Amino acid sequence: MKNKKLTSHLPFSFGMPAVIWQIVFFYLPLFFIVISSILKVTELGVVEGVTLEKLWLFLSPVYLGVIASSFLLALSNAVLCLFIAYPIAYFLAFTSHKFKNLFLFLLIVPFWTNFLLHVYAWFFVLEKEGFLNNLLRFLGIINEPIHFLNSIFAIMVMMVYYYLPFMLMPIFSSLERLDRRLIEASMDLGAGWSHTFRRILLPLTLSGVRGGFFLVYIPSFAEFAIPELMGGDKQMFVGSVVSHYILGEETGSLGAAFTVVSCVALLISVVLLYLLMNKFVKKVYG
Amino acid sequence: MGKFYKFFMVTFTYLFLYVPIVVLLVFSFNTEGFPSPWKSFTFKWYIELFHSTHLWHAFYNSLVVAICATGLSLAIGVFLIFYAAQGGWMKKFLSLFYGNLVIPETVLAVSLLGFFSLISIPLGLPTLVVAHTVLGLGFVVPMGYARFLELDFRLTEASLVLGASPIQTFFKVTFPLLRPSLIATGLLVFIISFDDFILSYFCAGSSAQTLSLYILSMLRSGVSPVVNALSALLLFLSSFLVFLFFSLKSRTRIF
Repeated sequence: MKNKKLTSHLPFSFGMPAVIWQIVFFYLPLFFIVISSILKVTELGVVEGVTLEKLWLFLSPVYLGVIASSFLLALSNAVLCLFIAYPIAYFLAFTSHKFKNLFLFLLIVPFWTNFLLHVYAWFFVLEKEGFLNNLLRFLGIINEPIHFLNSIFAIMVMMVYYYLPFMLMPIFSSLERLDRRLIEASMDLGAGWSHTFRRILLPLTLSGVRGGFFLVYIPSFAEFAIPELMGGDKQMFVGSVVSHYILGEETGSLGAAFTVVSCVALLISVVLLYLLMNKFVKKVYG
Repeated sequence: MGKFYKFFMVTFTYLFLYVPIVVLLVFSFNTEGFPSPWKSFTFKWYIELFHSTHLWHAFYNSLVVAICATGLSLAIGVFLIFYAAQGGWMKKFLSLFYGNLVIPETVLAVSLLGFFSLISIPLGLPTLVVAHTVLGLGFVVPMGYARFLELDFRLTEASLVLGASPIQTFFKVTFPLLRPSLIATGLLVFIISFDDFILSYFCAGSSAQTLSLYILSMLRSGVSPVVNALSALLLFLSSFLVFLFFSLKSRTRIF
């Protein structure tokens, strides 16, 4: 123990507030939400016992459909973000040279601005008389304006817009740590672009890809603001159902139950996706 | 093929990121409100923006919450890191903090809302500070600990051997060495709290309006170009903060 002297002189209570804060305001609320989802409470607010009734209620096809659509939304968002983010991260790490900081700066500024303003900005672009329709009409691609808003397209655009940096940053970090001479060696020795990517880049940045994938996948599973604002509440997702129940009158415990059910579903899907990825990696790289 | 794909994606992504912003900024100078086309140039929405008391009240609320949450999470986080990095049983607590960023924010918000109503704490700015501090600790502890481990421990030892007390060592050696990365993390926590929507939506109650909630109410009740003017202001603010973040050169990664 090199620093024994330092520790023994300061009371350890200095370090405790953070731990207490974390337990009281993070783990305790999560614990309560699980408990309240299985408690049987009468109309007068008296606890009568334990029941799984509320949890079973949400295993009906309607709610399973909601969970499935959230799963599809999150998965397609993560895959789209991955395909867009990888080349950008590569560009930032290796080819942007002296403009690297400028490009990074331009990438982070929107990310550090209130996302509701971006929702609003996309209204301007996707609106019936908006920028995109005018551009397409100007180019002669369409004659009649298309209704972009309140569609799954609008939801996906906003989802990718918002979650892109969560995918980009981990991939960028892992690419920055990579020795670029490996890429040069591979190219010099006659491997093409796709070969270099599959044999050198991807295996060495796999941790970044995996990290980014789940950083995007997990929050998008529970997203409720983007589908509501961009999709006009036509399609229900996990987040919208939870917020609807939690903020509704006397449906709080149902909201708690649905939160628990969808968290379990999320956990299962994360484990399955993780195993699937590992299997894929093993198959490709032996 | 690879090069072409990359070039296309980079151009596409930066256009994708900035076209909406540019359109938004251009229309903040339009005399007519959304969704009518461009008419003529005006500054009147900016003037209206500076006279909107509701908006500035919401802005002030967001600022107070963000400052409190950043200060609190930095203060209590730093002491924990300091202890944990010395080794011993305190280190075991660190793994408690890796969950904050893993669980969806909606779940955290919903469970905090349930918790506050269970122990009958009225919702308001204090509950929002509590919620944002939890979020902030999820950044401060893992990022700060990683940085702390990179420090040269011989410096602390030298300080102690040469007769400085542990408290003096902390404030004169350890803390100054950690300062750039702590400021960088603090900026990150500040902006996340300032822009946060999900936790504010659930944990602020009806009385305390933050900037996000104000913008939401404007989006829902027919928009006015004042929001465009506000966007210009907030973009300027976030550019400034990102610039600060970069100039620290702390090598702190956003993720």
